[in-house]
Amino acid sequence: MNRHPNPGVLRRLVDEPAGVTDADRAHVAGCADCLTGLADATADATAAGAALRTRADDVDVPAAWDRLSAALPAAASPARTARRRGRAPRAAGVRRPLAAAVAFAAVLSVAGVAAANDWLPVFRTEQVAPVAFDSADLVALPDLSAYGTVEVTGDGDLHTVADPAAAAAETALDVPEVAELPGGVVGDPSVQVGGQASAVFTFSDDLAAQAGGQAPPAGLDGSQVRLVAGPGVAQIWSSASGVPALVVATAVAPSADSSGVPFQTLRDYLLSLPGLPDDLAAQLRTFTADGSTLPLPVPADLVDSSSADVDGVTATVLESRDRSMAAVVWVEDGVVTAVAGSLGADEVLEVARGLR
Amino acid sequence: MADRQLHAVRGDLEQVFRRHYPAVVAVAARVLGGRAEAEDVAQEVFLSFGRSTVPAGEAGGWLSVAAAHTALNHLRSGRRRSDREVAVVSGEPTTVPDVVDDVLAREAHGQVRAALAALPRTQAVALVLRHSGLSYADVATALDLSPGSVGTTLRRAEAALRKELHQ
Repeated sequence: MNRHPNPGVLRRLVDEPAGVTDADRAHVAGCADCLTGLADATADATAAGAALRTRADDVDVPAAWDRLSAALPAAASPARTARRRGRAPRAAGVRRPLAAAVAFAAVLSVAGVAAANDWLPVFRTEQVAPVAFDSADLVALPDLSAYGTVEVTGDGDLHTVADPAAAAAETALDVPEVAELPGGVVGDPSVQVGGQASAVFTFSDDLAAQAGGQAPPAGLDGSQVRLVAGPGVAQIWSSASGVPALVVATAVAPSADSSGVPFQTLRDYLLSLPGLPDDLAAQLRTFTADGSTLPLPVPADLVDSSSADVDGVTATVLESRDRSMAAVVWVEDGVVTAVAGSLGADEVLEVARGLR
Repeated sequence: MADRQLHAVRGDLEQVFRRHYPAVVAVAARVLGGRAEAEDVAQEVFLSFGRSTVPAGEAGGWLSVAAAHTALNHLRSGRRRSDREVAVVSGEPTTVPDVVDDVLAREAHGQVRAALAALPRTQAVALVLRHSGLSYADVATALDLSPGSVGTTLRRAEAALRKELHQ
């Protein structure tokens, strides 16, 4: 057992775990003292985040530039100032783009989903359901690369196209059209297309033995699971400063198939890997019982999840605790659609229900 | 030479301003609580930047640190300006809800201001920058710390802040 990482390392695990060494992560996952320290660090960081929350999210940049120009020495080009005055409408501003970015990445990049969760479910997505986990659980999720090899066989090749029609032609998807943009969101969207993304995971008894986990069931060595998602299209409305205010994304939902290994065998093995918290494993066992529900990992300490009806389909609504971001996600006929943005839950639902 | 310096405003100021202004306001607002006061700080910061020779590639980090320091200086000196004055300068009509919201937010933020003002300066700046979204590496560069010690500094600041707020 290596020595305890210092409190600074525990702090970094809270919000930038990629910056912590594997050795430290492994130590923390198996050390009661460090897990307690991590819980304390998480609680303090969450409290500080709440205390430092701001509402400075709708600044008027053109007006502020005018003000600065007036204060600058005469040499600072008044002509330029006059030309810009009043040009941009007082738009949505820089409401926090994180939800939009996350939803976008989750829908378009299945490789990203797998890497973020260290998790490769075997299923065909027919619905989505939130799986609540504590931020601290992130350190404990098993690293699948210790149990086999992952080969990314298609990376989706994300690129921008001219308009929704071009995206539809390229992906053969029905690209949803937003009936009415929410207040503060203006202009035409930028349209991005991702092709099909796929990855193959090959189980290895040798790697599993080195990782010190439970031995895989007989016959799993060398068997493969192939994960496929996409293509997908995202329409992104930016605010005046260039960050996303609204994202409407649609993609062929993820599916997975294995090389002859039954779903239940894979599921039970994956859920038995060390480090997966018991309550999270129990939730996943329920949600993936039929191999058709895509678990959406949701940090329960930061995000509230609920369900709502979108044109007869049950959708999952996610909203950040500070009410600055919201997303709604649903699956219909093998296609997953997400509407997200720095908006309220009622606003994203209205956009979702108004899609044509 | 003095005259020349007075008028030497860097040519990329408008471009940098439009790109970074919202982020600079957000950093200051985390310290000060209210947007109007944070916008005052942002104006000061960009005036300084306009006279500086900071490389454009380092503008984001420089502006964030400057916003945190300037806002913390405002806290300590207790300087205030009225929302109305800001609205007049910026050419925006004053709307009642904005003013009410800002006043309420400032009330709620009073304890946080006091706690921030009591922290050692490096801790306070690291705390504000990290919660404004800068990475550990960015905070380390901005404060001339090693990335490893950013976590330690942050941990101390958050523990102290929480203790202060729960007294």
